[in-house]
Order: sequence, then structure tokens, then C-alpha cells
Amino acid sequence: MENKQSSSPASFVDSTVVPGDVVLDLSSMTNQTIKLGGGLRQDCDAISAMKAGTLRFSKPNKYWIESSQKRYVPCVEDTILGIVVDSKADNFLIDIKGPAMGFLPVLAFEGGTRRNIPKFEVGTLLYLRVVKANFGMNPELSCTDASGKAAEFGPLKDGYMFETSTGLSRKLLSSPACPVLEALGKKLSFEIAVGLNGRVWVNAASPDTIVVVANAIMNSECLSGAQQIIMVDHLLKNIQ
Amino acid sequence: MEVDREDGRSQNQLRPLACSRNILHRAHGSASWSQDTKVLAAVYGPKAGTKKNENPEKACIEVIWKPKTGQIGKPEKEYEMILKRTLESVCILTVNPNTTTSIIVQVVNDDGALLPSAINAACMALVDAGIPMKHLAVAVCCCVAKSGYVILDPTKLEEQKMKAFAYLVFPNSVHSVLPEGSLRVEGEPIENGIITSVTHGIMSVDDYFYCLERGRAASVKLSDFLRRNLQQQSTDSSKAG
Repeated sequence: MENKQSSSPASFVDSTVVPGDVVLDLSSMTNQTIKLGGGLRQDCDAISAMKAGTLRFSKPNKYWIESSQKRYVPCVEDTILGIVVDSKADNFLIDIKGPAMGFLPVLAFEGGTRRNIPKFEVGTLLYLRVVKANFGMNPELSCTDASGKAAEFGPLKDGYMFETSTGLSRKLLSSPACPVLEALGKKLSFEIAVGLNGRVWVNAASPDTIVVVANAIMNSECLSGAQQIIMVDHLLKNIQ
Repeated sequence: MEVDREDGRSQNQLRPLACSRNILHRAHGSASWSQDTKVLAAVYGPKAGTKKNENPEKACIEVIWKPKTGQIGKPEKEYEMILKRTLESVCILTVNPNTTTSIIVQVVNDDGALLPSAINAACMALVDAGIPMKHLAVAVCCCVAKSGYVILDPTKLEEQKMKAFAYLVFPNSVHSVLPEGSLRVEGEPIENGIITSVTHGIMSVDDYFYCLERGRAASVKLSDFLRRNLQQQSTDSSKAG
């Protein structure tokens, strides 16, 4: 990875950092508000890295470490796929691949009242939004968007769910569209839900389409855009 | 003082290092470390809940050591305890309170310097899993022979012939945007600290300090190796963000 040197000497933005590297010196940046994202921690005046990854910067003042893991760190306003583990009086307990279980309040549905509480079996897959993700507390989830409408959140029926790394889910959700999804979409018709916590759900009319889409996505993690298109063409040629 | 080692290495020469991460499909983080001695480490977690006697305000680390052959006995329990204490001082335990992270270490081949290889493998597996850490832990093994010379990274035969040996774990060397000299703890740079020291046998105090010096020099080379390994694998494939 090239070390992009910006105007200030020894800047680590866009280069790989290792836990312990001091990436920012606050004593030289007075009167500025800096926002720290995942992977960075503050030690008095020095900001140091907690994870290995690439340091990213977005104007005007956000710094974070981009890395791809198999586990998820809950963040507010993320859309994720959770699996129901248990149901209590007030909440459903949801497994979101993070350090703690998520809580889905029983009333967090469009038009949800005490009389029409949905009955989810253990193992139901839900498409959810993270409402609160505070330190030391279980994250709170919801099946509605910010204005209270259902907006595609809720249980996902049929289809097939598989797990990926968080980096791959971010790539799948990036805009412009990810090359592998575009290439698959030109020839096949399928429905897909991507959770930022590393879970992907695919549904299509026939099982072979589902299998091809799932395999193509899992293979695309290590490939560049052009290689992904070639890989998808190869897979589709073999089934037609 | 020049010394003849069986495999032709010089006193301070380490065996060729190889490290790969993300090798196990089901584990949340995994790494293998080989220097002739090969160790595989897998990390699962953080998972909710801590054990009975542990502090629920901090994350808990649990280590399971699996030897290559034989049943699990006292030596394995000792290795587990040393690894647990070393990794607890390297990880930031306050980030995920009330969680448990399990680390399983499997010995694949034992040819001397087993515990340092295990510590290096476990540290890389933790980085692979994304567990928040203060810095990396870099481990070396130093031996003192009867005639007083010190060698690094012994093979199993050399370890058995030596008068004493020490496993030393140092923090890695950090890159910093701060000017030289400002990131110091009590007047010394972070790399001059020591995390763990396990000694076996009889050696004089001077010999021990000489071991520390040799070990520290080797740990700088190991730090560079780890940094290059992490950089290469991040541009390479699967974990590209």
C-alpha cells in the first residue's frame, strides 16, 4: 500500500497502521473538532490505533480505521440481518454477530401495539436497523425506519442466508453498484438483502439461481472489479 | 565470540519466519506462526458473558492450549496462564465489558522456542479477529550456554543442552506522527518496556541483562516483519476494507 504523503509530514492517512501506532497529534490541532470512528482511541493528546487496517479520512474532520472482520461492531443507523434467539416480555433477543445480543422492542413495528405483537420463532431471520449502540449496553434494534414506517424491515421469508466478512458486505452496498451484483443482475433475477454485520440473504425463483448468486458473491471477496466480471461470466456459462 | 551452531546460524540469527492469517474458516480470527516450530492459534469472540470469578466490567480472555500429542497436564496449564496474562496486558479490556474472548492454541510442531511462537501466533490471531489492542506483543527466546555466550531462537536440542533460557516478550515498535521523544513512558520509548519474562535454569544477573539486550534487538526485526506481513495481507486479498 503506497504511503500517501499529504502536506503535513508523516501522515498515515490511506496507509496501513498497526495497533499502537500514533496517528494524530492533537496538540498541534487546537480549536478543531475531530470525529473518531471505529478502531481509534484517545490517549490525552495522542490518537492511536487499536486495530490493524487502513486509516481513512473524510472531510471535514472524520478519521477511522477501515478493516474487515468476521464479527461486527454495532453502529447507529446500520442496517443488519439478525436471528431471533429468544423472546422476552418486552424485547426479542437477537443475535447480530457482535459482542452482545441485540434487543428488539416488541412494539418496534409499524402499527405495533400490545395487541398485535408478532410471534417470531427462534431462528427467524430479520432485516433490522440499529437504533442505539452505546458502550456497555446491548444494542437496541428496530423494524421501522426513523419515521415509523415498515420500509422493507422485518422477517425475510424463504431464500438462503450466508455469512461473509464485514468488508465484503460494505463492498456489496457501495454505490456505484458492486461489479459482481451488476454482472449477476444482467442475466439472473433474484432478490438480495445485505446486512452490514456480515450476513447476506438471497432469494430467487429457482434454487440453482440462489446457489450461483451465493457462490459468486463468496468468491468475489478477493477479486478486483474486472476479475469479478470474468468470474461471473464463467459461472453463468457453466450453468446455461 | 563466534560460536558454531548445528544448523550453521550465527548467535543472533533467527530461523526463517512465516506467518499467515485468516487460515481457519470458522474461527473469528486465526493465524499460524512457523519458525520450524509451528503453532496455530484461533480466536473466537468477543462473546457475551464472563466466567464466574472474572470482573464483569472488563473483557475476559480465556486460553486453551492443545499439545501436539499426549494428555493435557500441568505444563499445558502453565502455558495457558502465561499466555492469558501476556495477552491481557496487550488487549484493551475496557472496550467490550462483560464479554469473553477464547483463544485456542494448537501445537503443530515443537522444535524449540515453543512459548514465544505461541505468543506471536496468538497476537496475530487477535489482530486478525479485530480485538482492540494497545500494541502488539513480540516474543523471542534467548539461551545462555555454560561458557557464557547467548544465542537466540534455539532449536529443541540446543534448548536442552543450555544452562538456562529465557522467553522474553516485548511491545512492538510503533510508528508515530509525534516528534521523536514525545511518546515515552517514564522517560523511555515504548519499545524498551517488557511484557513477560519466563526464565528456566540458572543464569547470572549480567547474563540476564545481556539476554534482554539481544532479545530487544531481535524484537525490532520481528516488529518489522509483523508490520510488513500486515501491510502485505491488507493490500493482497480477503481482508481488503
